[in-house]
Amino acid sequence: MKKKPLYSPIEMIILIMKYAKLSIKSILEYKFDRVFITIAIFCREMISVVVMFLILTRFVRIKGWEYNQMFFLYSFLFLSYSVFVLFFAGMRDFDNMIYSGEFDRFLTRPLGLMYQIVASRIDLSAALGHGIVGIILFVNTAFSVGIVWNAKNIIYYIVILLSGAVIQASIFLFSACFSFWTYKVDNLRNMIFFNARRISGYPLSFYPGIIQKLLMFVVPFAFVNFFPAQYFLRKSEMSSYWNGFFYMTPVVAVIMFLLVYAFWKKGVSRYSSTGTAM
Amino acid sequence: MRAYVEFAKKAFQNNIAYRADCVAGIINAIIMIFVNICVWKAIYEDEQAVDGVQFKMLITYVVLAFLMQCIYAMDEYHIENKVRSGSIGLDLLKPINFSGYIFSYNLGILIFRVVMQLTPALIISIILFKMLPPFSLTMFALFLLSMILGYLVLYCLNFIVWISSFWFYWTFSLVTIKDAAVMILSGALLPLWFMPQAMVDFIKLTPFASIYYVPITIYLGQVPMEEIAFALLKQLIWVLGLFIVGRLLWRSALKKLVVQGG
Repeated sequence: MKKKPLYSPIEMIILIMKYAKLSIKSILEYKFDRVFITIAIFCREMISVVVMFLILTRFVRIKGWEYNQMFFLYSFLFLSYSVFVLFFAGMRDFDNMIYSGEFDRFLTRPLGLMYQIVASRIDLSAALGHGIVGIILFVNTAFSVGIVWNAKNIIYYIVILLSGAVIQASIFLFSACFSFWTYKVDNLRNMIFFNARRISGYPLSFYPGIIQKLLMFVVPFAFVNFFPAQYFLRKSEMSSYWNGFFYMTPVVAVIMFLLVYAFWKKGVSRYSSTGTAM
Repeated sequence: MRAYVEFAKKAFQNNIAYRADCVAGIINAIIMIFVNICVWKAIYEDEQAVDGVQFKMLITYVVLAFLMQCIYAMDEYHIENKVRSGSIGLDLLKPINFSGYIFSYNLGILIFRVVMQLTPALIISIILFKMLPPFSLTMFALFLLSMILGYLVLYCLNFIVWISSFWFYWTFSLVTIKDAAVMILSGALLPLWFMPQAMVDFIKLTPFASIYYVPITIYLGQVPMEEIAFALLKQLIWVLGLFIVGRLLWRSALKKLVVQGG
């Protein structure tokens, strides 16, 4: 039997606002610390950009990809990650909530679990750290790779960014789900998420077939940056892929989220506390 | 002395507890080496040697840099956790040298990683990626020596950052910025060959080149015999210099320490 929700949608939105206000307040409490964290994350993310930059100053182009195009491709990853941690930081920290026992508190409240997890966190420092890298790359490249920014392209871009955020959130939640079974998921997450993300920094066509398949169908980062970037760039190598992939990003996002959500539900149903709550 | 051996052993055993995590770590390293080689292959597609650097040499560099990163990993938040939880108060009461304890603890992690991660990863890399053997036996011995010095440079640098947790509540930012600097400047991700000259000149004035770049270039036989002694001496000077800074900071940290419980 389906339970009638206790709160109306409007009340839920008001509640999200209240959560957000609390999050922002707690961030402002440690202004210096938060700014410092933003700078640190910015530095960490810039490493790979600097490496790419240094390589490209030496080699000018790689497999027909120029400097601007490479950075344009890369900017998708940072911007969508930034959107992801801004809205879904709770999904990122979920394994920690289990580990620390914070998750137990959610179980006692009369609200959907996923709603609480998503609403309870905003990570402004990480969103800014990644976002600034993304914006720097985007601003430097978006007007030099030959894109006409008409209404259609702008809408496409926004949809891609949001879908990309959902895909990344799903992958993150997927790795976090394993903490229902084992309590340590760090290396697993490195394998599933961070390695895949680092690999996607370079065009898909640089890699052998198996890695391409993995990035398209298992950990679908190809839909976060490669195909959307190709939609704008239309490089010749795109002929070896199906053109429909340009528009698949939102579809992949929905499928990924539903699959991971089902997996997560299964995890919740067998959840037993670590006993560390409060 | 025995106590410190025991600390190292304990750290070793603590790590054994997470076997699955360890296997995942090896797989991670192999994947990242493989992917990096793919990218370099794409870069080298048209040219066989860029600036006289052969592709095989580059691959060997990439593999070595990743394997070294694997074993150079340390427990970055050990001291911070102790300071924040207050348990450092108890540690200081014990009749041991705290810095010695921290070092032997990290040594235990190092030995664990050499045995459980480096050995399998190395065998896989030799078969899979066909890395070059060391330039000569002498060079190999000198490489090992240089690698130990490189580890000590990194350790002393890390120690300074860790000690800052006596002043800052959280060291995440500092550790992260330090890591970023090490990754770029030490040649862990990109050999210094490919960097602009001005940047290389700057890096050679810092301790960072001692960590990855010097040992690996010795392994590859790129440092002429007569310059090796100087390179090693430079590493040693950095170890001593950073060690002394660490000691001084440690002294003033003890005066600063306020334990809130624990």
